[in-house]
Amino acid sequence: MIFFKRTLPLVIAFVMGIVAISIYYIPHQAAVDLNDLLSKWDRIIAAFAAFLGVYSLLYLHAGRLKRRQAGWGYSVFVYLGFVVMLTAAIYNNGAGPLVALRKGGAYDWLYTNVFVAADASMFAILSFFIASAAYRTFRARTTEATILLVAAVIVMLGRVPIGALLWESMPELQQWLMNVPNMAAKRGILLGVYLGAVATALRIIFGIERSYLGGDE
Amino acid sequence: MIQKLLNIDRRWIFLFIFVGVAAAMLFPLPLPIRPSSDVKNVYNTIESIKGKPNATVLLSFDYGPGSEPELQPTAISIIRQCFRNNIKVVGMALWPDAVGLAQAAFDSVSRAEGKEYGKDWTFLGYKTGSVTLILNMGEDFHGAFNVDYRGNKTSEMPVTQHIAKLGSFDYVVTLAAGKTIDGVWVTYAVDRYRIKLGGATTAVTSPDMFPYLQSGQLNGLVSGLAGAAEYETLVKTQGSATRGMQPQSAAHLIIIISIIIGNTMYFVQRRRDRRQSVSGNEETRS
Repeated sequence: MIFFKRTLPLVIAFVMGIVAISIYYIPHQAAVDLNDLLSKWDRIIAAFAAFLGVYSLLYLHAGRLKRRQAGWGYSVFVYLGFVVMLTAAIYNNGAGPLVALRKGGAYDWLYTNVFVAADASMFAILSFFIASAAYRTFRARTTEATILLVAAVIVMLGRVPIGALLWESMPELQQWLMNVPNMAAKRGILLGVYLGAVATALRIIFGIERSYLGGDE
Repeated sequence: MIQKLLNIDRRWIFLFIFVGVAAAMLFPLPLPIRPSSDVKNVYNTIESIKGKPNATVLLSFDYGPGSEPELQPTAISIIRQCFRNNIKVVGMALWPDAVGLAQAAFDSVSRAEGKEYGKDWTFLGYKTGSVTLILNMGEDFHGAFNVDYRGNKTSEMPVTQHIAKLGSFDYVVTLAAGKTIDGVWVTYAVDRYRIKLGGATTAVTSPDMFPYLQSGQLNGLVSGLAGAAEYETLVKTQGSATRGMQPQSAAHLIIIISIIIGNTMYFVQRRRDRRQSVSGNEETRS
């Protein structure tokens, strides 16, 4: 059993990792074709992952409902939303699930008037919390905090037309902050992130990092 | 009094924001919108390909309804600019929840500009894979998308039959709310297949894009609602982004005023605390 649980996944990860990296650097049609084939497999596997995601979500909320956990009412809405949207998508305005989504049906209506509206409202609420957080926590306690605060105010003003109305050069100053100090900091962070990603990928390929196997591995 | 102001009920701040935004929407003031160089770069690239035979732009809708107010106006403006210049547009989505938004954008503009599906534009829909989908498109476009969202063969539609691979597009613009610009398009499409890429992103993710702008991997960037309003100015059509500039300006002003008041109270309180501690120390010494 240990062969299927540990050895085989490690061998697959090693072989596929080495192949995927190698074909990137081989300028031959065979490598291009293999890359194309592997990417198609990857997309098929990714599509099945969606089913796992749905199962995982419904399983989690079924547990909450069973235990009558705090906020279990929201789990009812998860099931309700899932069933209603799925039924509307399968019915597809009378055309069935095997053809492209038809316009004007129940799914279309729910998407535009419930999903889009609810999702956009959720993000809109952020502006209220940002204002409250800015008032309570954005303090010039140290030199660094003061620099950050001044930069934030310039960017906030420079990004909206009222900034140019208050001072003509505000948008240019904002643009300079984004193009020079922000960019330099971001570049440093990105270099660190991607070097870390390379190191993690190599650790997985060579079987040093095994947490993806689950259990005690 | 100062302690009270420092610990003000947050609902008062919510009310200020609500009143400020509502007032700006009800009584809009004309505000100057000056397009930035990053926005102009996207606009000018599209202008530069007009008149070219079979000029085609690929628009990738990589956002969900949460980012719709910021990115949908840019999508509409870019489609409008392409249609007015007789440039073909192909839409696709790397996010499943973008499908309805992409369709809405294409439907409204194609109707207004009198453009025909399959000849002037098409929508390919959503496919899984992100990175691997781009790799497939880079090698064989018709293999990656053999049919469009409506089931028409891409190899037979006038709008896509001349597209062999990703590099066949004259320009690619990704409208992204997440990490698809740098995580997918820049890394795999630009560096590997040498395509010209423009981006549109939410204001919160745009600072991450500046390294790619400077390196030239991204040739232009439409950032947030402000960028969308700048693009609307360039295409000379006032849409929801231009209208959104008044409430956004009001919200930013209120936040800045909140920061100033909050900090003033903080420093006054700190000064008082220090004075009290100094006088306390003097009393102890005496």
